Amino acid sequence: MPVNYITHPSSYRDPSGFIFVKEDILYRQVNKSFQEHYDLFMSSGCYDALVKKGMLIPHQTINENLTGNNEWYTTLKPAVVPYISYAYEWSFDMLKDAAILTLDLLKTAIEYGMILKDATPYNIQWQNGSLVFIDSLSFEKYDATKPWIAYRQFCECFLSPLLIAHHTKLPVQELSLAYSEGIPLPLTKSLLPWKSRFSLHTYLHIHLNAKYSTGQPAASNKTASFSKTKLLNLISSIEGLIQKLQLPESKSTWSDYYEEASQRTDYLEQKQQIIKQWIEKTPPLTIAADLGANKGEFSKLLSQKNITTIAADFDAYCINALYKEIKATGEKNILPIIIDLSKPSPAIGVNNNERDSFITRTKVDLALALALIHHLAIGKNIPFEKIAELFQQICKQLIIEFVPKDDEKVKLMLQQKADIYTTYNEEEFIRAFEKYFVITDKQAIPGSGRTLFLMNKK
Amino acid sequence: MLSYLLYIDPGSGSYLVQVIAAAVLGVAFFFKNIKLYIKAFFTRTPKKPNDNPPA
Repeated sequence: MPVNYITHPSSYRDPSGFIFVKEDILYRQVNKSFQEHYDLFMSSGCYDALVKKGMLIPHQTINENLTGNNEWYTTLKPAVVPYISYAYEWSFDMLKDAAILTLDLLKTAIEYGMILKDATPYNIQWQNGSLVFIDSLSFEKYDATKPWIAYRQFCECFLSPLLIAHHTKLPVQELSLAYSEGIPLPLTKSLLPWKSRFSLHTYLHIHLNAKYSTGQPAASNKTASFSKTKLLNLISSIEGLIQKLQLPESKSTWSDYYEEASQRTDYLEQKQQIIKQWIEKTPPLTIAADLGANKGEFSKLLSQKNITTIAADFDAYCINALYKEIKATGEKNILPIIIDLSKPSPAIGVNNNERDSFITRTKVDLALALALIHHLAIGKNIPFEKIAELFQQICKQLIIEFVPKDDEKVKLMLQQKADIYTTYNEEEFIRAFEKYFVITDKQAIPGSGRTLFLMNKK
Repeated sequence: MLSYLLYIDPGSGSYLVQVIAAAVLGVAFFFKNIKLYIKAFFTRTPKKPNDNPPA
């Protein structure tokens, strides 16, 4: 039987099954070895309960062996997630919500006689404005005499970055990227202040855990007695600890941007008018990216048109504020992520293809790059041509704002550094972008000296 | 069968930590519950006569 399918590069760890793509459709195969657990998951009502609560992605069962694999038990076709993002791109509150979701899933699973056998944020994605668990093969039969197998993984992947950010009051996305499988507990312990050991829950889950997880295996393999009550106490302790953690609001570089920008005549309003008018004329858009989104004012413009919008910015405080806002308002179309466009997330993991790079993952109908060009060209010394090359890999259409050298903001930037930017002008900007794009419209933003360009990828 | 499914390394001492943590938490939550019960006893608002449902 001819079988044409591609196994997902990140789906190799768990022998219970794997993800594959066939004829552009994503499927999950359940292997025979996992049959008992999978059947219990479906028949116990656990799957239905989790899907009903919106905690687990629903799937369709397809009783056909699409891979021709001898290990095949059944095939699942999960609902589609519009965009894959990773925990090292998430803001503090998004990771915190993902951690709480994992614990809620665990508690619900226990009610149905199941348990989560892994606890990684890679199993959580964003769909319709909220976080959802995507791995239906993470649930196995619960043995109440045994502790939670994924306990250390949970502490390393969720608790460690949250505690470090809470105590240092600094974003830790780059640390999470460096330790993409979880921050080792001894490192977390050394990064936390000494006083943190006086918190009973932090002491137990980090300090004590770090001491034992690096030690020698226990002399005998016999498991000391454990029980459901003990596990629920453990979960309650972790949950209580996480609920108290927070990243303080900070006056970061750009957090006051809109307040300040709106004082410049009606600059923001004029800009919105031009963009609105262009969006009306474009063919229907499904997915867009607002690059340098700040607090997402322009992302909202797109989301109102029912366009899934990735709001990316390098400022972790702005993105966290945006995440909290969309959570409070119930906004469903905006996914805020932390991306530094001068070094977007790389491809990592086994063979460097387990987690895709930002550029590989991000293919949108429209990208907005508003008040961004000077930060990349002058702030980061990136030539126009390289910036154009970045955008053409991401989008089909581009709305970009050119900020001239005599702009107040650019002048401010140049006060801090030598002016070596002799080619920073509109002519050079157009020449570089025309290599990859066709400029279809151009409009000056009245009173600002800035210009908006609408471009189509060549 | 089950060992086949233990594809993540739970950490050599992770089980032991959970046993110790659960024991400590059991004691901590026991006293916390007593504290909450006593607190609730002294802070509960006295029932007003009109709180009783009409006969």
